[in-house]
Amino acid sequence: VFSRPRFLAFVAALLLVGDIARAHADDAANTVGLRLFEEKIHPILAGTCFRCHGDQKTAGGLRVNSRAALMAGGDSGAAIVPGRPDESLLLQAIRRADDVSAMPPDKELRADQVADMAAWIAAGAPWPEQPVHFESSKHWAFEPVREPAVPAVRNSAWPRNEIDRFLLAKIEANGRAPLPQADRRTLIRRLAYDLTGLPPTPAEVQAFELDNRPDAYERLVDRLLASQAHGEKWGRHWLDVVRYADTAGENSDHPLPHAWRYRNWVINAFTRDLPYDRFIREQLAGDVLALEGDDADYADRVIATGYLAIARRFGHDIEKDVHLTLEDTLDTLGKSVLGLSIGCCRCHDHKYDPLTTRDYYGLYGIFASTKFAYPGCEPKQLPRDLVPLVSPREYERLVQATAEKIPEARAEVNRLTELHNAQSMRIKASQAASARTLSTQEIDDGQSADVAQGAQTPLENVAVRRGEVIQLSITPRGNHGADSTRIEFEITELAGEKRRWNVSDLLDDLPAANPHRGPAGDGATWCFLDAHDAPLLLSESLTAIDGHSELRGWRRGDTPSVFVNTSHEPVKVWTTLPPRQFFMHPGPQGAVALAWLSPVDGEIAIRGRVADAHQGGDGVGWQITHFADAGLAEAFIEFGATSRQLSAAQQRRDALVERDRQVPRAYAVCEGEPQNAHIQKRGEPKDLGDEVPRKFPDFLGGQQVTQGSGRRELAGWLTDPANPLTARVMVNRLWQWHFGRGLVKTANDFGTRGAPPSDPALLDYLASHFVKSGWSVRAIDRLIVTSAAYQQASVGAADDFNVGFARRRLTAEELRDTLLTATTELDRTPGEAHPFPPESSWSFTQHGPFAAEYDTVKRSVYMMQKRNRRARFFALFDGADPNASTPLRDVTTVPTQALFFLNDPFVHERAAKFSARVIAAADTDAARVDFAYRELFGRSPQGDERDDALAFLRSYAPSATDNAAPVSEGAAAGGAAWTALSRVLFSSNELLYVD
Amino acid sequence: MSDTFGPKHSNGSRPCGCSRRDLLRSFVGGSLLMPGLLHELLAEDATRSTPADPLAPRPSHFPAKAKHVIFLFMTGGVSHIDTFDPKPRLHADVGHEVKLDHPEIENRPGYEHIFLKRPQWDFQPHGQSGTEVSTLFPHIAECVDDIALVRSMHTDHSNHYNATLGMHTGSFAFARPSIGSWVSYGLGTENRNLPSFVVIAPAQTYAGSQVYASDFLPGAHQGTLVVPGDEPVANVAPRVPLGQQEQELSALARMNRRHRQARGEDAALAARIKSFETAFGMQAAVPDAFDLSQETADTHALYGLEPGSTKGYAWQCLVARRLIERGVRFVELIDTGSSGNWDSHGDMMDHARLALNVDRPIAGLLKDLKARGLLEETLVVWTTEFGRTPFNNSADAKGREHHNWAFSSWLAGAGVKPGIVHGATDEYGVRVAENPVHVHDFHATILHLMGLDHERLTYRHSGRDYRLTDVHGRVVRELLA
Repeated sequence: VFSRPRFLAFVAALLLVGDIARAHADDAANTVGLRLFEEKIHPILAGTCFRCHGDQKTAGGLRVNSRAALMAGGDSGAAIVPGRPDESLLLQAIRRADDVSAMPPDKELRADQVADMAAWIAAGAPWPEQPVHFESSKHWAFEPVREPAVPAVRNSAWPRNEIDRFLLAKIEANGRAPLPQADRRTLIRRLAYDLTGLPPTPAEVQAFELDNRPDAYERLVDRLLASQAHGEKWGRHWLDVVRYADTAGENSDHPLPHAWRYRNWVINAFTRDLPYDRFIREQLAGDVLALEGDDADYADRVIATGYLAIARRFGHDIEKDVHLTLEDTLDTLGKSVLGLSIGCCRCHDHKYDPLTTRDYYGLYGIFASTKFAYPGCEPKQLPRDLVPLVSPREYERLVQATAEKIPEARAEVNRLTELHNAQSMRIKASQAASARTLSTQEIDDGQSADVAQGAQTPLENVAVRRGEVIQLSITPRGNHGADSTRIEFEITELAGEKRRWNVSDLLDDLPAANPHRGPAGDGATWCFLDAHDAPLLLSESLTAIDGHSELRGWRRGDTPSVFVNTSHEPVKVWTTLPPRQFFMHPGPQGAVALAWLSPVDGEIAIRGRVADAHQGGDGVGWQITHFADAGLAEAFIEFGATSRQLSAAQQRRDALVERDRQVPRAYAVCEGEPQNAHIQKRGEPKDLGDEVPRKFPDFLGGQQVTQGSGRRELAGWLTDPANPLTARVMVNRLWQWHFGRGLVKTANDFGTRGAPPSDPALLDYLASHFVKSGWSVRAIDRLIVTSAAYQQASVGAADDFNVGFARRRLTAEELRDTLLTATTELDRTPGEAHPFPPESSWSFTQHGPFAAEYDTVKRSVYMMQKRNRRARFFALFDGADPNASTPLRDVTTVPTQALFFLNDPFVHERAAKFSARVIAAADTDAARVDFAYRELFGRSPQGDERDDALAFLRSYAPSATDNAAPVSEGAAAGGAAWTALSRVLFSSNELLYVD
Repeated sequence: MSDTFGPKHSNGSRPCGCSRRDLLRSFVGGSLLMPGLLHELLAEDATRSTPADPLAPRPSHFPAKAKHVIFLFMTGGVSHIDTFDPKPRLHADVGHEVKLDHPEIENRPGYEHIFLKRPQWDFQPHGQSGTEVSTLFPHIAECVDDIALVRSMHTDHSNHYNATLGMHTGSFAFARPSIGSWVSYGLGTENRNLPSFVVIAPAQTYAGSQVYASDFLPGAHQGTLVVPGDEPVANVAPRVPLGQQEQELSALARMNRRHRQARGEDAALAARIKSFETAFGMQAAVPDAFDLSQETADTHALYGLEPGSTKGYAWQCLVARRLIERGVRFVELIDTGSSGNWDSHGDMMDHARLALNVDRPIAGLLKDLKARGLLEETLVVWTTEFGRTPFNNSADAKGREHHNWAFSSWLAGAGVKPGIVHGATDEYGVRVAENPVHVHDFHATILHLMGLDHERLTYRHSGRDYRLTDVHGRVVRELLA
């Protein structure tokens, strides 16, 4: 994997920005070449070329600041071929040869300069170890972390741990002294907001103030650090860093119904102190790691890769702008884990940091080989590629088929559907060619008639052949779906055995089959058909209708249907169905039919009666048809077999799809097709350059991917203890999350343009302690908050020599959660999914994007965050940017925030609720003031605060809406006055700022 | 620097004859608030800013006439060849097939062949300058001698979302600060009772709140959204009678003063105390700015506004004048939301409805500003996100598609060379033929007119100095007076 010496070698290579391997001191030609470089070549490069091809600019993709860069060349190819001046483009350019852009473009080099350049290239173009003007000086953050010695200090009483000794050494060196310790009430309020984002309860404040045990503070710290609320607070910090949002951010801002699982995973990770190296590895490659671990961890690890999946999507059809989504992914990866701006390198090598375009596309290939969950977009609304939360083995067990079998099941349904339809069409054609109407008539609502009444030919002697069909169709008459129709129908063989077939024979086992052979041995077959067009067999057998087991039959959809009342009693359903009768019910589109497949060669008699059995409709019609085609019976039997197979195949498919649908899924990633990326010249995805192997940036080791997308290996490289950035970046964040500013003030930028650490030794101490502790975030948190430095009285604005807790404003989330706590409305159970509309209804467009807002009384971290339409409250109080990593929240103070406190309905409603609590809590206004102060500030009123409040209550003009009558002499103030005082207390600096 | 809070008039008089000092006294008169905070507030008038105040007025990079911007944005893509860019050849060659590698027809079924389509409105020369404008904008046409028309605009993207984001932020994909936020950041603002950057829009345009977001710039520079109607600015209307609110503010002031005294100097605590005083003032100042009953019938008529109505662009334009009079730095007026706008794919005649909504109000605004002398210190910008195709897949297609290769925009007012036309498209209005002006160039020119060098107006974020114009942009000197 990642060996320390190898890593250091790469760092060294970087820092020299040269090609050490070429610097063979014993090579005489080389020595001459080097002198030539120092005296002639370097001045040309630095003085003439560097302006356009230097650190800052790379015209034509070319840089001249290293031998490697010259050999790599630019858009036109290698600039130099060592030893071969005539083949070197650079020389052709300065010689102003044809077909080559003349360089420098504005003025020719002198002939002697051209000759020197040729001589230098001929000498192998040697490059010295440290060219003066091209050197990028050593940068602290890229140096290995070394655990520093803890400095000695004069004041041995103050320090509580190593952090204090580092800080005190500097404080003493500057002739200053630490600030006194804050009081207990201040400390518990500071700790509670810092570690949980919520105020301490009055009881907790009192208990801590009275706790005389020597480790009372540490006990408090441990209790708070172990709470779910701590996970919610720390989770929100990380969600800021990874620009978490519940929408995709493309033109129609599609909602992400499953993203919440990642949000909760982050919260839980901090709640259970998931080691930070695992925390990072699972976010990068949890889906791959899940395959190697316990099934119990499988879902969690897949969910963790939501870190990648929540990357912003761009444009109208998001697949066209995948390169932007991958840039967003790389940019967030760089900032969140490494503290580096990688995004710049999409178009050009980093101007200030040792990251190249090759490094960018080396990482790019890793994520191009990863399949991201698809959120949907305007032209393709539905999400897909969500990742199952069960292992492939478990998935196989649950779905009893791999996902690949679902397509097979679908294909079988399609094949049988085609066969079925073809057979139906053939029967229709045969029927059309052979039809002879025997009887037809219509009857009015509630009427009945003998089929002989509509006879067009005598029904008492109809000549048929074996295999032909006699069909009774019941047709709707006007009204939608028509009526339940009672049928009597009998066919009698006139000669031979004088067999008799009656629908009443079917009463006791009608649902058994369709086609139905009737009682055994009678030779005929009945079919129950949807006959509105080409015949279709009624496909659903019913052993109970409307919950009545005595009603049985067949249907297709709701209707048409054929059914019987098997009971000896009438059954009351939509109408009262008489006992032991056979019914047919047409469908809304047309007829239901009963087909008798003839076993007779000879004459038959047809008798029957049709009765509208459901009063209140328009009546029905009938038609008895003789289809004189002897092949039809066989066709119906074959059709029946196909219908049964089709039904079975459909059920198999539906069951698979349903089981698959029931497997829980996450908005996450999985392995895609492994592929290297090509450099996109100047960031233009259509202008491709060289292919770059999937790899770690060169200055961090340059290891190449050996398997799959490479995310698993990347996760390992990032969390290798020898990586100089990962641990430093995270401990700095933790420091910042406690103190309000980092030891490195640019928490997302540890590059050369970032701020240097105020105390490099302390930063490295924390980083090495972090790794030694098993990457325990909680170990560092505990070390920081138990330091004497953290427990100092707060200051308005800290400086490097006055390190302590800087007074801070509540965040947007803390403010909202605090007001909901004051009213006891806050629901502390974790939030889950947002109530997004069902996916099947999605039709979001750039003209009508997703724009819903959902109210909740859960903690603010669980509120839905949109990318394209930010919630006003979070915009107003400097919430995190859902579109880009937020390393540190701004704190702005603007009058529109004051207007929120003065006039926003949210504040007014909370004040009304809080005042009701206060009034109910005590009988006198004085006691109520005490209650309100303890609830909101964790203390009793002091000095003239109580008198001020009482004076306010007395003098507050009663408003017309104030109907609350004074309940006693001591409680004179009404609800409106208390609500007003509540607003005042809510608006106070004491509530909004943490000391 | 003005200490007024009422409208500034060209002759320097104040219509209400009272100063900010008097107004403050009248707002808080007789309350418990008076002793401590009024003193601080009046002291603020003297120094006008605290160092940590992100909205404090800042000097421009170089002297400039323009103090304010009114940015008129037409959502959906206004057809240049039907409004400001006459193309007689389209009449002559209507129905001719053209072959173009155009983003809106690439791989689009039914668009294998495209044909020139004639403009649907006639053009006539207007004013001394003789600038041709179509009959869609008869009133704006009367103002051409005050306008510098750019017929050679072009932009990077043919999607509404991206082009709209680009026109507002200079970035066509990633969220970045809005031009209004940049101007607010660069120059601060003079009237602290009103936001520095106000966006008046009946509905959200493409890309939603990102078009007026401050993004990584301090949040104080984000656009304040005003939605025409009864409560145009959220939370400005007091929910309790003012006398009672004063009592609350007095009690709050006492609490906060006590809290602050126990803690020593802290600029953040002081700033928050002041923010309540400012907010109290805003409750009067904002409704006052939006109270059009103070405007005469003639003024209403000039804008084409029905007295008492808050509907349409006329209301937006008249309010914009009142806002810049009161020192608001940047006012954007978005005419329509992300649907029902100038995106006339189905029928170009819909342009008539949209033009009717803006034509007289915009002309009224220009004439009103000029009459009051305000045009000398106000830059008026008119634009859209892109133009519309001079062709379609049949010559008699009713609509036009998105066209980012060429469109028209214009500037008027402070520092702008009046009565000129800059740049030109080819004979059919398909491509820019002369003096192309990219969105970045347009932005650089607007900043220049405000006295800001687009290469020096930077903000350090993520280790990089960001600019509105990224690494591009050229000031179009030909547009400068």
